[in-house]
Amino acid sequence: MVKEDETFPCDLIFLSSSRADGTCHVTTASLDGESSHKTHYAVQDTKGFHTEEDIDSLHATIECERPQPDLYKFVGRINVYNDLNDPVVRPLGSENLLLRGATLKNTEKIFGVAVYTGMETKMALNYQSKSQKRSAVEKSMNVFLIVYLCILVSKALINTIMKYVWQSEPFRDEPWYNQKTEAERQRNLLLRAFTDFLAFMVLFNYIIPVSMYVTVEMQKFLGSYFITWDEEMFDEETGEGPLVNTSDLNEELGQVEYVFTDKTGTLTENNMEFKECCVEGHVYVPHAVCNGQVLPTAAAIDMIDASPGAGGREREELFFRAVCLCHTIQVKDDDEVDGPRKSPDSGKRCAYISSSPDEVALVEGIQRLGFTYLRLKDNYMELRNRDNDIERFELLEILSFDSVRRRMSVIVKSATGEIYLFCKGADSSIFPRVIEGKVDQIQSRVERNAVEGLRTLCVAYKRLIQEEYEGIYKLLQAAKVALHDRERKLAEAYEQIEKDLILLGATAVEDRLQEKAADTIEALQKAGIKVWVLTGDKMETAAAACYACRLFRRNTQLLEVTTKRLEEQSLHDVLCELSKTVLHCSASLTRDSFSGLSADVQDYGLIIDGAALSLIMKPHEDGSSSNYRELFLDICRNCSAVLCCRMAPLQKAQIVKLIKFSKEHPITLAIGDGANDVSMILEAHVGIGIIGKEGRQAARNSDYAIPKFKHLKKMLLVHGHFYYIRISELVQYFFYKNVCFIFPQFLYQFFCGFSQQTLYDTAYLTLYNISFTSLPILLHSLTEQHVAMDTLKRDPALYRDIAKNALLCWRVFIYWTFLGVFDALVFFFGAYFMFENTTVTSNGQVFGNWTFGTLVFTVMVFTVTLKLALDTHYWTWINHFVIWGSLLFYVVFSLLWGGIIWPFLSYQRMYYVFIHMLSSGPAWLAIVLLVAVSLLPDVLKKVLCRQLWPSATERVQTACLVSGPPLGSHPLASL
Amino acid sequence: MAMNYNAKDEVDGGPPCAPGGTAKNRRPDNTAFKQQRLPAWQPILTAGTVLPTFFIIGLIFIPIGIGIFVTSNNIREIEIDYTGTDPSSPCNKCLSPNVTPCICTINFTLEQSFEGNVFMYYGLSNFYQNHRRYVKSRDDSQLNGDPSALLNPSKECEPYRRNEDKPIAPCGAIANSMFNDTLDLFLVGNESDPTPIHLIKKGIAWWTDKNVKFRNPPGADIPLEERFKGTTKPVNWVKPVYMLDPNEDNSGFINEDFIVWMRTAALPTFRKLYRLIERKSDLHPTLPAGRYYLNITYNYPVHSFDGRKRMILSTISWMGGKNPFLGIAYIAIGSISFLLGVVLLVINHKYRNSSNTADITI
Repeated sequence: MVKEDETFPCDLIFLSSSRADGTCHVTTASLDGESSHKTHYAVQDTKGFHTEEDIDSLHATIECERPQPDLYKFVGRINVYNDLNDPVVRPLGSENLLLRGATLKNTEKIFGVAVYTGMETKMALNYQSKSQKRSAVEKSMNVFLIVYLCILVSKALINTIMKYVWQSEPFRDEPWYNQKTEAERQRNLLLRAFTDFLAFMVLFNYIIPVSMYVTVEMQKFLGSYFITWDEEMFDEETGEGPLVNTSDLNEELGQVEYVFTDKTGTLTENNMEFKECCVEGHVYVPHAVCNGQVLPTAAAIDMIDASPGAGGREREELFFRAVCLCHTIQVKDDDEVDGPRKSPDSGKRCAYISSSPDEVALVEGIQRLGFTYLRLKDNYMELRNRDNDIERFELLEILSFDSVRRRMSVIVKSATGEIYLFCKGADSSIFPRVIEGKVDQIQSRVERNAVEGLRTLCVAYKRLIQEEYEGIYKLLQAAKVALHDRERKLAEAYEQIEKDLILLGATAVEDRLQEKAADTIEALQKAGIKVWVLTGDKMETAAAACYACRLFRRNTQLLEVTTKRLEEQSLHDVLCELSKTVLHCSASLTRDSFSGLSADVQDYGLIIDGAALSLIMKPHEDGSSSNYRELFLDICRNCSAVLCCRMAPLQKAQIVKLIKFSKEHPITLAIGDGANDVSMILEAHVGIGIIGKEGRQAARNSDYAIPKFKHLKKMLLVHGHFYYIRISELVQYFFYKNVCFIFPQFLYQFFCGFSQQTLYDTAYLTLYNISFTSLPILLHSLTEQHVAMDTLKRDPALYRDIAKNALLCWRVFIYWTFLGVFDALVFFFGAYFMFENTTVTSNGQVFGNWTFGTLVFTVMVFTVTLKLALDTHYWTWINHFVIWGSLLFYVVFSLLWGGIIWPFLSYQRMYYVFIHMLSSGPAWLAIVLLVAVSLLPDVLKKVLCRQLWPSATERVQTACLVSGPPLGSHPLASL
Repeated sequence: MAMNYNAKDEVDGGPPCAPGGTAKNRRPDNTAFKQQRLPAWQPILTAGTVLPTFFIIGLIFIPIGIGIFVTSNNIREIEIDYTGTDPSSPCNKCLSPNVTPCICTINFTLEQSFEGNVFMYYGLSNFYQNHRRYVKSRDDSQLNGDPSALLNPSKECEPYRRNEDKPIAPCGAIANSMFNDTLDLFLVGNESDPTPIHLIKKGIAWWTDKNVKFRNPPGADIPLEERFKGTTKPVNWVKPVYMLDPNEDNSGFINEDFIVWMRTAALPTFRKLYRLIERKSDLHPTLPAGRYYLNITYNYPVHSFDGRKRMILSTISWMGGKNPFLGIAYIAIGSISFLLGVVLLVINHKYRNSSNTADITI
């Protein structure tokens, strides 16, 4: 028994509730984020049990499938044993299942029986659902790491071999002044060599920047807050800001090459508005101020020409009823309004809630045409007709919507006892099943609407006689009770039922484009990102939306691979022909793109539909499928925009996968808002969910969630760019500073008899990565802005500068590594020549090995930190504080570390070493000199590159410098 | 990861859609930091900004370098190798271990007089004082006068930790191999009698080492020998540590020769300060030009590891001993940077127009 506002402890079969009709309301906000109330139904035979005793007296067995993670699927069967009679078998579906984690609402209490518990509950099974995504940066980081691992091993190996070569003369191995202990002498040679190797590994292990991983994680974690904090990405209307579900992929946002976007709810608002309906060629347009009256408007020409006769009138009303009845909307009373929509002008205030906004728009539109859907009560749907009479229809069956069939049906029994089947769905799925009605007229209207970017649905009906209905009932019941393949059997049953329909009319719902969608798409294309629209809509609608959002421009030549075309030509011919046109042009395209004028060249847009795509993807037995795939990819690559319509959710993922694993391994981003986009969001490198109206499923499964499509622009062009720059600099710098750190150590081995003597004191070894050089780079990687935010937004082409992991390519990596090696050589040999066989103090006293190490270390800390300072383009007070602060910290620490005899240490080798070093004039001179020499090549390289081969980014930087800070940037930025 | 955001959902899953009030709370703060709009200085390294730096570096470094070079060149230094591997060398006889004690004499001439304080070093080559096993073979607590460490030295000292069941003081390889040649310098004047040069053996070690880091075992009134009771001398030593110097201020662990030796050198070729020769007055040079001879009590064997022994006499400037490297390096870097400045100036001039037009096309 669960009381109101309690959370279900396990997955329950809903037996009975305190409500008379055996329903209860549940919110699954904590499961899938959808906060709307969902109605669940008690098992018919048990809904009468209202007390614990009643429940005790119940004898029933439940059979159900094995636990599986899909929240919306459940297949089971309950056998209720009434006294002596044969057991009654009832199907159990997800509407009977109350999930663990969901909360009971508006229902006093319910009784249920547990089916899945613990780790078998759907909530628990969903925890491990997501696969790990890795960013390109992380991958190249790992490759670099392997390189460094090789360097480490080879260094250790070289030193070990050198050691034994060098030691082959006994006076070197064991001179009289430096004898081994007895135990050391007796050790096996191989064992000794191996321990030496390991000792070298330990000595050089700092070259593998372990702390880099920590810093990278911290940078990603802290850095991701900048997305959540971004005010510009906060949406006032919904009160939602961006969400970051994973911080692993921040930098991947700066690497996107393909954007796959859903249309509905992503490009468009998913704020449906009923535009018109067309009944047998007569067009009705509801007006906002119509007080529930029918206003067939003058806008419809056909309407004026032929006023409907009596039969037309009947059809018309039937159409309205059909629209009123054929849905799965719930009605909320006013006191429990929680849903996003309220009917705007109904006298009786109620709100419609549905998982599909189309339905809400339709029912509301029809309401304005005079038919108001009131509620569903005791399996009777009530509606008020134009004459303000309440009509009651008994709801017999719902053949629910799915994206494969793309239609849904209801079977209702009117008060007069007539049984109707109303079917509503996409035109393509309705027209083939229609045997009667003004198909041509309606079809032309539908197509016209579709071209205008409206979403169209067709409505058809069928009158059933009682016997037919009973047949249907049996068919459905059999399918529903089936334990195996229930889905398939149901689909087959639906297929049989929904045929021989009579077409009634069509509806059109407008889905407005999201604000700045066109602007965003344009910016993305300028940034060198290919935008693909994947939608389930029909081609004309989708193409219209694409034109509206400037994905296709007027001069775009459209190439079509659609079912219609494939009927005329074979797939092979079509593809070959297209590739010929495209490739012919692409030759000139690539040539021109060098001169940066590619925008003027004829660009191509490809339209492909689901059926054609499945043909392309379908593996042929003769193995030619891969050819098609390649051909298709070739065409796609050369098209500036691709529109895939009529896509099933899985096909969306397939497309993403196809591109993802194509030759160049481009980084893909999928953005969508609905449950149907989840598969592609999960498949793409980066998945972005729109916190939209179609529930939170997409946002929940995404890596990032944003309130509006337009925020994608800032997300990629600004945040993505910054993150990429920052993380790549972080990675390169880390490798660099560790090369600087450990290479002198390696060189020192050649001067200390390969004895694994450390150059630096233990404290320095430990603290180098932890405190002397960690904070500056961390803060740098959080605050660095090489170009002002506004410039990035204004000039999307800058995004191309970092495409293809440009800052972590081998060339750059090798440059940094060599810079590190060069600096290390400077430190070491600088100090070496300083110390070689001379004294550097004015009192003639000599320095030892620790002073030598300290000098190298001091030069290194300063060089490495100043190198970062040279790389910083955005000096906030934080950077100043951290960079100068860590240098100061190093000095203070060294003074302290050498200033006291530390009682807990067994050695005092650093005692006064640092201070004595500072008392020597040449040491100061050497520090200045060596730091200058180490930094010189980098400065030179930077200046020369900027002067001779400037990248677009550098040009913009210089331009900003010349013209002062760009307009709109912070006035203090010029300080 | 999945756990992560599910947990988050549960936290704020309750009222995510509730209108009004919560929306305000969720709105991010408009602070400069959170919006990444902190005021900032945005320097860019261009030829224009870097050019003056290059010239300035050139202009500063070259004079410094010349100064250092001149100073270094003014330093007088003479190095005398007395290893004796050369059969003609007077010290050749001392190579065989049988001759003990072996005293040899080397004659040399100073062409120029040494003015100011003169420092006498001994230098060793091919001697790996920086070998890891060697460097760690000491006990700093023992050297600091800790009584318990005196009698129970650190394990690091192995195999120079105990001898005949007695703890060695000072323990370890470094102490055991302390340099023990004695060098004496004589000026062969015009007279028949050579004058010995007074060599000062104090002030050769770091003040902090002598006074803080190294201490004899406690017991102010007790004679030094008593304080080291229960310990034995290092194997290779002739005398125990408390007899290194007759003067108690310079004996035991605080013997300056010992302290100097204990500061392990960075490189296998090194020199260590042996004695000071103070200048007597402004008028006379400390070591006038002329003939000298060096009297060596040859104890320290280096032949076995191909080592060399040297005696170095050097004057000292503010920047230490003779070291041409620093001056040359400064001059070189200064010139390079100056040259680069010129090159950059040319490039900057030549490419200015083209880069400007490039800006316009953007």
